[in-house]
Formats: sequence, C-alpha cells, structure tokens
Amino acid sequence: MMKNLHFKDSFKNFLFDLEDFITIYENHLHVFNYLKLNKLSETEIVLKFNKMSVIINGISLKIKQMTKQELLINGKILKVEFIYE
Amino acid sequence: MNREKIIWVKIESGGYYNVLMKLNNIGITFFDNKKSKDWVLIKTTYSDYKRIKKYLISYKVSVYSNAGLQKIKELLNKYIVFSLSIIIGMVLLFLINNMIFKVEVKSPNKSIQELLINELNNYGLGKMKFKKNHKKVEVIVNKILDSNKDTLEWLEVKYDGLIMIVNVTEKTKTEKENEYKKCNIVASKDAKIISLNLYRGVALKEINDYVLKDEVLLSGDIIHNEDVKNTVCASGEVYGEVWYTVKVEIPFKESYIKYTGKNRYNLNVEIDDKKHEIFRSRINNKKLYETNLYKLNDFEINLVKEKEYIIKTKNLTENEAFNKGMSIALEKINLTLDVNEEILYKKVLKKDVNDSTIYLEIFIVTKENIGVLQVIKEEIENV
Repeated sequence: MMKNLHFKDSFKNFLFDLEDFITIYENHLHVFNYLKLNKLSETEIVLKFNKMSVIINGISLKIKQMTKQELLINGKILKVEFIYE
Repeated sequence: MNREKIIWVKIESGGYYNVLMKLNNIGITFFDNKKSKDWVLIKTTYSDYKRIKKYLISYKVSVYSNAGLQKIKELLNKYIVFSLSIIIGMVLLFLINNMIFKVEVKSPNKSIQELLINELNNYGLGKMKFKKNHKKVEVIVNKILDSNKDTLEWLEVKYDGLIMIVNVTEKTKTEKENEYKKCNIVASKDAKIISLNLYRGVALKEINDYVLKDEVLLSGDIIHNEDVKNTVCASGEVYGEVWYTVKVEIPFKESYIKYTGKNRYNLNVEIDDKKHEIFRSRINNKKLYETNLYKLNDFEINLVKEKEYIIKTKNLTENEAFNKGMSIALEKINLTLDVNEEILYKKVLKKDVNDSTIYLEIFIVTKENIGVLQVIKEEIENV
C-alpha cells in the first residue's frame, strides 16, 4: 500500500526538485529541470531532459529568462514534440 | 540579505541565438534580454558578467548600465543637487503652506491684542507655529470667547497666506454701562419729539415737545412723593424731527473721467507700506487696479493694471444743475442717518443763478433717534 503512494519519491522530489516539467502559456513556455540546450534558433529549440528530448517548433522564438535549471521561452509556439530514448 | 548587483551587459555580436547558446553552455543566468543588429543586452548579475567576460573572449563585453535599485542609486548620485533641491523645495513649500509667520489682531486696543495673542499661543496658534484646520480653530475660538465673556463679543480667526488674521469685536462700553451704571437719556440735538418708547426710568418729555440739546428726556431717577427712591440706567428710544439747512453750490461746467481703453500691465513691490514700480509707466492719467501675487510679512509683489483716462468737461443746463444740487444735499443728510431714520420733508429756501454757478439753500426735516445715554456723573466718581 505504502509502495503504491510513492511516498519516498514524492518526498525526495519535494526536497530536491527532481521532477522535470513543461508548462505552456499563450506565447510562453516554461521549462523546469532541463539538462542541456541542444539547439536554439528562431523556429526551433531542442532541449535534453533526463529521459527524453523535447523539440519546440514555432515562430520568432526567444529565450526570455534563463537559469541552470529553468528556461522561459517566448514566441509563437506551434508544436512541442517529445522523443523518449 | 546579500543582494547581488544586477546590471545590463552589452555583448557586441549580431548572432543572438549563438550568444544565448554560449551563455547556456557556461551556465549563465539572465533575467531579461534585448537584441539588435549589432549587439545583445543581457540583464544579469555582476558575478555572471565576470564569467561572461572570462569565457566569451571572442566577443566585446561591457557593462551597459545598472538595473533595479542600483540604477535608482546611480540616478540619485548623478542628480544629487537636483534631487536635494527638489526635496528642500518640497519641505519649504510644506512649511510655507502650513506655518504662521505673522499674527495680526484687528483691534486698536493693545490689551485685547496681547490677551488674544497669549490665549491663541496657549492653544498652539501663534507665530512660527503650524496652522490648524477650520474645525480645531472654531473650537479654540469658542473656548477663548467662553473664558473672556466680559471683554469679547465676537472673534474670528482666518489665514491669509502666511498671516493669521484675528478679527475681534470687544463688548461695547454702553452694554457694560447699561449693566452696571446709573444713567439718563438726553437729547443729542435740538428737535421736536415725534415718538417715545420708554423701557426703563421715567419720561420727562412728551410727544410734540420741543427739546434742546443735552436736555434730559428719560431720567434714571425714580421719584416718589418728590423724593428720589432709586436710580437706574434709563433706557428707551426717542425719535424727533430735526431741521437742517443745507447750502450747495454747483458749477455749470462739470468735469468727468473718460477711459480711453488703453491698458498697461506693471509690477510693483511693496516693502513696509512703500510701493515701488518695477517698470516705468508710460501712461500719465491712470487708474490702478492691483492683484496680489505674493505676500510674505511686509513684503508684497502686486500685478498692476493701469487704465488710462482723460478728463472731459460738459455744460449742465440749469435744470440739471438744480437736480444735481438737490441730490447732493439729500445724500449729505442721508449719510448721517441710521436704519430707522429718514428724511421727512425738503424745501428749497433760496435759489441764485449766475453765469457759471447755481446756489441752493435747502431746508430738510428728518426723523432721527435723538436720545443718547449719559452716565450720571456722581455714579462714575463713586465707581
């Protein structure tokens, strides 16, 4: 029962922010816990995560804010593709 | 809390995406960015700027400007004199608007002036003190009036710029005398009595009696069986017919003022009641209309409108001169009359006309209050 609740994993994630996620807003995309920025251009951004890569296609894409963990992408977002390894 | 300095860093390069990739590779954090053809601006920390400078050696990297609180500090330092002037100006403006620099008590009586200045000072209203709002002033005025019932009848405090003006009406002597002294009502002039209202005392005259000036009309002595039983302050109203003969001389040539429509503006400075014109006036005959622009104690700056006029003459007909003479005579008498007093009768006694002038002698009968209070002298000495 306890194993099904993933209590240990949830607590670890709460403490160390291990989970990665992407949030899409109108003309904005927020990325958390990415590993590497593989490609950056006006129409395509490729990001590497722990278990997958994400390809973001759009128009006039720009990085508004950037830290080691987070990215705030600005521009008209047309497609987000997830490629699992 | 150690807040790191935030700055805008200018990286001279046209390749916006290349620069961002490189910044990501070296782990730079930035909070905003702007791009142009030849440069990229990055809003980042000072330590990250040092890292950019260290690792991106192929680009020209420089500090563009401070950001956030640092920018406000920088602006304040840059415009320190201007900022200080604004702050001092605001403080001065606040003081000028809210402080009293002079107190003017509108009373010729020095003891009343001192009394009011001291009383107002006790309530925090005085020279070099802050003004109080209307409600507080009203409360203070009422308190002062309550504590000085015997001397003060009415009190008003208002502000005129930096000056606090205190308007005051003292309790009149007559009121005090009525309360405390013994007195008669006597005739102020020769007259024939036409109405008599007695409130207190004994009437010594009747309606249609002719009286001379200073004759007692209402006596304060209460007499019973030819003995003075008591003395009071007589009061009442005695109206009488009073006769006047007014002589008027009116020339047929009359001069009057005509405005030419030419106006000029000037400034004058008033220091200690002496006025000094700032610009030389080019108008000879002029009427002045002043508007106050600035006032500080005895120093004033006024805007003056100068209206030019010329003096013209016109000839009056005999009839016009006669009417003018009559109205002048009546106006002269009317000015001496009070509210319930009036002109009863008028008649031209004499009219002489020569080439240039008309002479009139007019007989006027008025209805006037002839009774005046006279305090009984023995009583004054006793008091």
